[in-house]
Amino acid sequence: MTRGVSADSPALRMEGVSKRFPGTLAVDEVDFEARAGEVHALMGENGAGKSTLMKILAGSYDDYRGRIAINGREVGLHSPAAARAHGIGMIYQELSLARPISIAENLLVGHLPRRWGFALDRSALRREARRCLERVGLRLDPSVSVEAISQHEAQLVEIAKALGAGPHILVMDEPTSALSREEVQRLFEIVRQLRREGLTIVYISHHLSEVFEIADRVTVLRDGRKIATREIDGITPQELVQMMVGQAIDEFYAGREARPGALILQADRLSRRGFFHDVSLRVREGEILGIAGLSGAGRTELARSLCGLDPLDEGRIELSGESLRPGSYPDAMRRGLCYLTEDRKSEGLFLRLSVRQNLVSALSGESLRAGLHSRRTEGATAARMIEELAITATSPESDVGQLSGGNQQKVLLGKWLAARPRVLVLDEPSRGVDVKAKQRIHEAVIALAERGNGVILISSDLPELAGLADRVMVMRRGHRIGELGKDRLTEESILLAVNGEGIAPGER
Amino acid sequence: MKGAESRSRLAALYDRLGIYLVAIALVVVGALVSDEFLTPRNLLNVLNAVALLGMVASGMAFVTYSGNMADLSLPAVMAFSGIVCVACLPLGLVPAVLLGLASGVAIGAMNGVVVGRFNANPILWTLAVAFFMEGFMRFTWSNRQLYPDTEEGTAGAAFIGIYRLDLGPVPLLVAVMLLMFLAGHLVMTRTRFGVETKLVGSARAAARTSGIRVSRVILLDFMVAALAASIGGIFLTSMNKLGVFYLGKGYDFRSVTAVVLGGVMLSGGRGRMAGVLGGVLVIGLLSNIMTFLGINTFRQNIVTGAIFIAVVGFQQLRLRRLGRDDA
Repeated sequence: MTRGVSADSPALRMEGVSKRFPGTLAVDEVDFEARAGEVHALMGENGAGKSTLMKILAGSYDDYRGRIAINGREVGLHSPAAARAHGIGMIYQELSLARPISIAENLLVGHLPRRWGFALDRSALRREARRCLERVGLRLDPSVSVEAISQHEAQLVEIAKALGAGPHILVMDEPTSALSREEVQRLFEIVRQLRREGLTIVYISHHLSEVFEIADRVTVLRDGRKIATREIDGITPQELVQMMVGQAIDEFYAGREARPGALILQADRLSRRGFFHDVSLRVREGEILGIAGLSGAGRTELARSLCGLDPLDEGRIELSGESLRPGSYPDAMRRGLCYLTEDRKSEGLFLRLSVRQNLVSALSGESLRAGLHSRRTEGATAARMIEELAITATSPESDVGQLSGGNQQKVLLGKWLAARPRVLVLDEPSRGVDVKAKQRIHEAVIALAERGNGVILISSDLPELAGLADRVMVMRRGHRIGELGKDRLTEESILLAVNGEGIAPGER
Repeated sequence: MKGAESRSRLAALYDRLGIYLVAIALVVVGALVSDEFLTPRNLLNVLNAVALLGMVASGMAFVTYSGNMADLSLPAVMAFSGIVCVACLPLGLVPAVLLGLASGVAIGAMNGVVVGRFNANPILWTLAVAFFMEGFMRFTWSNRQLYPDTEEGTAGAAFIGIYRLDLGPVPLLVAVMLLMFLAGHLVMTRTRFGVETKLVGSARAAARTSGIRVSRVILLDFMVAALAASIGGIFLTSMNKLGVFYLGKGYDFRSVTAVVLGGVMLSGGRGRMAGVLGGVLVIGLLSNIMTFLGINTFRQNIVTGAIFIAVVGFQQLRLRRLGRDDA
């Protein structure tokens, strides 16, 4: 059965919906249908069109084509206001809360309770805000500011805010990406509650396990087209992955025989107060050192201070035998220590510049001949990276902002590979990218190490860490608590270690 | 969806040539308005009239390109470099000009440090500097206007001659302006500094993680803008035969208008020097035509302001259309 048949008209029906961007048809004649009281998962690789389809629903584009009916009535969703008026609520990956103002004001922004028509009614504001928070099971003081609460609580506040407008269709785009396991369970409780209340929930996720746990049906998109809609009970994870990638996936991580050579990077007793304390590490030629830890363990902070992007309070760093001045990233970079940021959108890529310009953006010093900029060298470097990483773009001159997440991440990696690093620090190099892109990225990282360079890999993706790293340093609450050798690297052992279990005292 | 594609191609064409199409259209309009319009003398007049604006805009473009919108202290820089130059004329023409330029660039360096290193808001900071400099100049020279010695054979006479010098058929100031645009173009597209300015203007945080010394690049951008404004200021002072605090008035907004009209995005990282020159020419042609039509300066200001609003609105709209509204 590929299409739900019910007597009533579905809560949401999209028919033949398309959206074109310059050069690409992001969504191509897609039919999509969701019922009241169901959690409908929307899956596909990055660039499959999920986000665009949902943005159409949110009223982000005024030039989509096709028909959209809500509860059987055809509507035009040409502005975010129109979408809201038709009962569509959106929860994006990135939070939309204003951090310095109170939870209550965030929740009720746009319809703040008023007295005498103009004065803010503070008691009503608190009352309303409490009611909103209760719906998501939060017991917080609504008068505290958003920056004072945790990421996970902010996520729930975001949901409360979306619910405040009384939607009957709620779209959740990767809502669990920043949450821990327990937090995900709490989120799912709320999702189930909303389903009981009769809401239609469209759930976008890359996590198979989550989809099988929470969804009733799943629709798979690929290359902007709809592949199928299936009942979750009638499909296996393997079938679902097959539908998403459109080809059989082989064993992902080929066994890699590491042959570490000479020491390249040596960092002793690094500390930055409040972030990480007394951490030492070594990286050899041809070696991939993994760093594992829960969020907040200090991994990213360590990496940034190591490279000189953030200050360092104590410690010594030696790169190829010469000591490195802390706090000077341009120096470190020119000497071969490069950092690939976890935040590609705001810190990694120049979204408004072309693929070519991004790929050569880390070598402004190198592509200069006699002080002048050489376009030809740049073009050749960019072409090499596009081929090596199989970057899919209409042309090297397309804007990076127009590419899918997977291709953006490949461009980010290409930018650093082009800089020919001696030690490349990768911070979540494949977060939120599709299976094929991930594979390409992994191949490129392995190739970099095989050429005799060092790699530091920070990742929350356990299969990635277990598969790629030669050994894994485990961090917890700012301290290095141990190390796992290649022979002991499994997803389970890492998971136990980051939670502070399973590392023998001898290894500390 | 052929419409969307041809529209984006049209937009790309506008990026490259658009402002010159507007300029050509204005030439046609001008020819219709007056018989005198197309005479070489009038066209040279147009160039002469916009040469100073062009000089300032060629520097302002670097600030806008670097994502710092505008340097509103440039009028003060113009006046200051002019005053210093006149005050130093007793030392001889060349030292006086060099000191005038240096004092203007010093203001640019200060702006660059405060905006680049200490992350001050460029608009507010440079506005404050303009205010401060006006007071400083009035205080230092007790509200007086400085007149150079105009007697034959003195440095003062030579100074006043700068504005009036011709290189063959072309006035010196027009030649200097065109040279500045050529130099600006080469710097922007062919040097490491130009490329880094583009990266900083496109995304400052990403430029930092790409190993670019962001604060140094921004410092240089403000210094380039101040140098260009100082050159303009010395010509302006030479033209007026006096140095006084209010000389650069109005060059701030008009140069930003030329820059934006020329297709440099206020959000930074996009634009071309050739476009800025086109923007300057369009402003010159427009004002020339309005003068032929007998429209006074105040009403011309209304037109310039309206054009600025329309162009910025159009740029924003285009960014949104392309889904590039990443502000």
